[in-house]
Formats: sequence, C-alpha cells, structure tokens
Amino acid sequence: MSNCNCEQPLVPHIVEVIDIVEETPDVKSFYVKSVGGGLPYQVMPGQCSMLSLPVGEGMFSCTWQEGQEYQQYAIKRVGLLTEELHRIEVGQKLGLRGPYGNGFPIETSRGKDMLFIAGGIGLAPLRSFIKHCFKNRSDYGKITIIYGSRSYNDLCFKKELFEEWPSQPDTEVHITIDNPEEIWKGHVGFVPAYVEELAPDPAGKVSVTCGPPIMIKFALQSLQKLGYQDEQIVTTLEMRMKCGIGKCGRCNIGSQYICLDGPVFDLTQLKQLPQEW
Amino acid sequence: MKILAKDKVQALLDKIAQQATVYVPMAIEQGSGFYPWNEDNKEKPLLLDALNVYNSPKYVVFPQTERMYDLKQQGQELSIDKTYEDSSERVIFGVRACDARAMRSLDDVFLTRGFEDSFYKARRDNVTVIGNACYNPGVNCFCGAMGVAMTEPETDVIIRDTGNDGYIWEAKTEKGEKLTALVAEFLVDKELKYPEAKSFTTQVDYEGVAEKLKSMFDHPLWQKMAEPCVNCGACTYICPSCHCFDIQVKMWGDSGYRFRCWDSCMYAEYSAEAGGGNPRPTGVERFRQRFLHKLEFFNERYGYSLCTGCGRCTIVCPAGVRITDIINEIKEVDSSVEL
Ligand code: SF4
Ligand code: SF4
Ligand code: FES
Repeated sequence: MSNCNCEQPLVPHIVEVIDIVEETPDVKSFYVKSVGGGLPYQVMPGQCSMLSLPVGEGMFSCTWQEGQEYQQYAIKRVGLLTEELHRIEVGQKLGLRGPYGNGFPIETSRGKDMLFIAGGIGLAPLRSFIKHCFKNRSDYGKITIIYGSRSYNDLCFKKELFEEWPSQPDTEVHITIDNPEEIWKGHVGFVPAYVEELAPDPAGKVSVTCGPPIMIKFALQSLQKLGYQDEQIVTTLEMRMKCGIGKCGRCNIGSQYICLDGPVFDLTQLKQLPQEW
Repeated sequence: MKILAKDKVQALLDKIAQQATVYVPMAIEQGSGFYPWNEDNKEKPLLLDALNVYNSPKYVVFPQTERMYDLKQQGQELSIDKTYEDSSERVIFGVRACDARAMRSLDDVFLTRGFEDSFYKARRDNVTVIGNACYNPGVNCFCGAMGVAMTEPETDVIIRDTGNDGYIWEAKTEKGEKLTALVAEFLVDKELKYPEAKSFTTQVDYEGVAEKLKSMFDHPLWQKMAEPCVNCGACTYICPSCHCFDIQVKMWGDSGYRFRCWDSCMYAEYSAEAGGGNPRPTGVERFRQRFLHKLEFFNERYGYSLCTGCGRCTIVCPAGVRITDIINEIKEVDSSVEL
C-alpha cells in the first residue's frame, strides 16, 4: 500500500475517482482510492490533501476516510480547478498529495461535550470530526450540531443532517437557512445569531467552528459572549495555498503557516497571531 | 596554512570545472552575478574583488523556474512519468557572508520543519560553496547588524584576500576538505596574517526590532512607509533569501509539465483566493508582509532574521525604499498604536 508523499512531497500520487455524489447544486463529493485499490494514505479528521488535474492543484479538507478504503472530498465549485473537477466522471484519475496540516483535536476533546458549528461548505471538513465522534460514541459526551446555509438546497449531506445524526444518542442537530423559503419549515437566520439563541452551555464543552471567514468571525464572538473560554473555541483558517508543506510562503499568518501549523487553531493561539484572518 | 596565489585562481577554476559546474561572480553585459565558468564566459571579467554582485547565487540551489515533473493526460488517465530532481555536481566560488547566510535560511525553509523538498535537496546536497570573507564592507552593506559575521561566511571553504600575497584557503566542512584535496596542486603552505576588517559605513540598529514588531502589526507607520512602494516586486526577486514560489503548469494538448517559479508577496495574485477574497487587498498589507516576514516572522520560526543585510533591495528599488531606514524607523518610533 502506498503512503504519504514524504520522499517527494511536491509530487502527487495518481488516484482514481470511484464515485461522485452531488451534495448540492454546487457541491460534489469525490470518492478516491489508489489506482489498483486501497487507501492513498491515512488522513486524520481536519487534515487536508492537494488534489490536482493538469489545470492546477487545490487544497481540500478530507470529508471522510476513517475505517474506509477510500477518501472522500466534498468540493464546492468556485474557480478554475473546481469547475474542472465538477465536470469529471467516475473513473477519472487525479493527482493527490498529503496529508497536510495538524487536524482537529480529536484526542484532547475526548470525554468532553462537543459543539459543532458550520456554515455552508464548512460542514465538509467538520463532518470528518462529527463522524469520528459517532464512530467512537462513548469517547465523547453530548453532541450538538448547529449548521446553516444560504438556502435549503445549499445544505450539504442532507440524509445525515435530517435522518442519521438526529437519531444518534445524546445528539442535537439544529439547522438554519439564511432567508425564508416556502419548502422550509425550520429556523431562518444566520448561524452566529442562531448559536446565541440556542445558547449551548459552555460547561465541559469544546466548540469547533468551520465556515466562510466572515461567519467564523461572528460565530467566535457569539461563543465568547456565551462565556466560552479561548481554549474551548476551536476553528479552522483558510489562506491561498500552493505547496502545502510550509515552503512556498504564501499561506502565512504571522509566523504560522496555515498549511503546516494549521488549519486548526484554538482562540488562545489565534490571539497570538496578527489580525490578518 | 594553505595559500592560493591569485595567478592560480583561473587554473583552479579550470580544474574544478572538469568535474562540476563552477559558478563565479562575473560581469556580464550591464549586470553582474554568478555565472558558470565555461568556454563562453571565461573571457568575461571575474569579480572576485566585488562585494555582493547584483544577482546572488540563490538560483543555483533554487532556480527562478524549475521543472518538477511531466504530466500526461489521455482520456481519464493521468500519469507522472518523470521528475526532475537535479543532483549534478556544482561548486559556487566566491560567495559573500550575506549570501551564505541567505543559503542557510533557504536550507532551513526547504529542508526542515516536517518536510524535505526533494528538488531543493537534490541540488543542495551536491553543491560545495567557497566563501570569500569580507574585510571592507560596501556602502549598502549592513550584514553585521543582522547578525552575520562578514569574515566568517557559513560555507564549505573560506578564502581570505590578503592582497598581493593571495588568498588564505580554509576548508570548513567535509565537502570543503574534499574540494581542497582536489585542488591541492594549486595551494601552497605558508603563514600569512589575516586581513584587518574595516567597519560598516551604513549604520543600522536591529537590536530588539524583531521583538518590538510583535506589537506593531497595526501601527500607522506601515501606511507611511509603504506609501512610495509601487509593489513592483523587484526587491523580492533580487533578494538572496526570498523563497516564495508559485506552482504552475505548461500543457500542450495532453502533455506538459508542472514547474515552480519565484513568486512575490508584493503581488495581489499571490494571496488572492479562488473564491475571490484576498487577505492582503492593498499594497500596504503586502508591503507589511514582506518586511515583517524578513524582520519578525522568520525570527519567530527559525531564530534569526531573513534579511541578511546584503543591501540589494535598496539598490534595485525604483521608489527609493530602504530597508535600513525601515529598521531604523521601527527602532525609533513609539510602538503603541493609537486607534
Ligand atoms: S531584504 Fe534586502 S537587504 Fe535584506 S537580504 Fe533581502 S535584498 Fe538583502
Ligand atoms: S522594489 Fe521598492 S517599489 Fe518595488 S516592491 Fe520592493 S519596495 Fe516596493
Ligand atoms: S501553502 Fe506553501 S507555505 Fe503553506
């Protein structure tokens, strides 16, 4: 079985797309495995990989892998590479290199209640942590998931959101969309406001927030208002990336490279960085 | 001690050139830099007395564009048939302490902190560097202020110019010993006195600046200092320690290659995200990024400054931006931010 790209970290493996699932009108999940079968390498929840087609490379957080023979990446169509990815079909070969980044604090969160907050495609990275918790259900306490998107159509992983996760023991799933829609009977409003409204008790909790930068900013403020301490507030940062291995320089915030030292930080760490995120 | 007479230098370069590509400081057309010592270039003026020539030897280990691997696409198939790690033997002759320090920072970036860059490593492992100790710093030099010892370049061999008597030749590493053995016929045993070092004319006080900068991210001084900068990027391309690169592709139909090339934090595209956002939207943030990286961030990560005091950016800047003035201004300003 092949493993990481340690010897030639900038040279991708070739992997095969074995399934493509349309999650929303502009998000597709790509399931990849090594050519000839098996896992390209182990990715921990929150870690990322560089996926490529000849047109370019892009960094994507792994949406799910644990215990499977494949890796899943849910990818939103936003630019040149992702447009191209959205056009490919099952059987397509891709370049893949990784795993990159520090990943979520799955170990230090053990025994705690979990609060997951996501906006839009931000559920893709978070899902690997959420599923890890369900897979190791007794290691974690109560699980609260607060998720929102622009519209009902833009909600990712609907089957899990509406059926699988809410039926898990000691689990709450709260969903909101930005603007009212006829088919939607649930909560309407932005995620940070919804967090404040639900006001999950900070005692014994770890919160993990993923989403667009602007949502993250407000959600972190909401958590602070609710009394969450800096070390209870975990989030992910995004920057343009090229190398993924802390060499090309571009993804830094202060002295930290998001590709290598991140993408996951808690607020204690973020407060030591310059305000460039 | 071993002495290399000045009239033996060319023969020594010829000898090394039989087994390695030798890069020496030369004047070519209007510019100067490190160029291969070969039949075409031998007639060009050698610049061993010059301090740091215009183009640093950075490109020998980190070329401006470097092909990484070939790509082929056929229908749904994709293959990478060939990678281009280049491990041919190279020797760089006459590197000044500032450029040697810059190479050490490239080593730290490309070879430490979790990943070894295979392309850089292939080149670097097969490069032997001969440093030329400085005793008479130039008007734009301030390496001393940046923690670089001009008389002790961090290289495999150090040569010290004693004037008419020739160069003192000192092997400093295993690679240096090997090279010394190769050129033994050109070295003679003789005792000479070390040249005397003159002092710097450019006054810079970097003491405590890295630390002070930690609280100056939002300081209004950045606005003022960035004002003349046109974000042309010249300073980043000329800098011996700037290591940022972009990864790009060249495809002709179904086949092509992926390569990397120097990039500059002075450009908007550098940090522009696929979704359209940019965390450094204007020239001020980009200017601040460059100088904070040089003077603060790199220190935090690797323990020393990424500016080696070579003075090149001051020479090339069309807008008159001087890193020495920046350091001195930061040193003097009240670091508290008024908001
Ligand atoms: S920042 Fe300027 S003075 Fe410092 S090493 Fe680079 S080119 Fe030389
Ligand atoms: S060379 Fe001068 S004008 Fe050009 S980017 Fe550098 S500081 Fe700005
Ligand atoms: S992507 Fe190159 S340093 Fe992070």
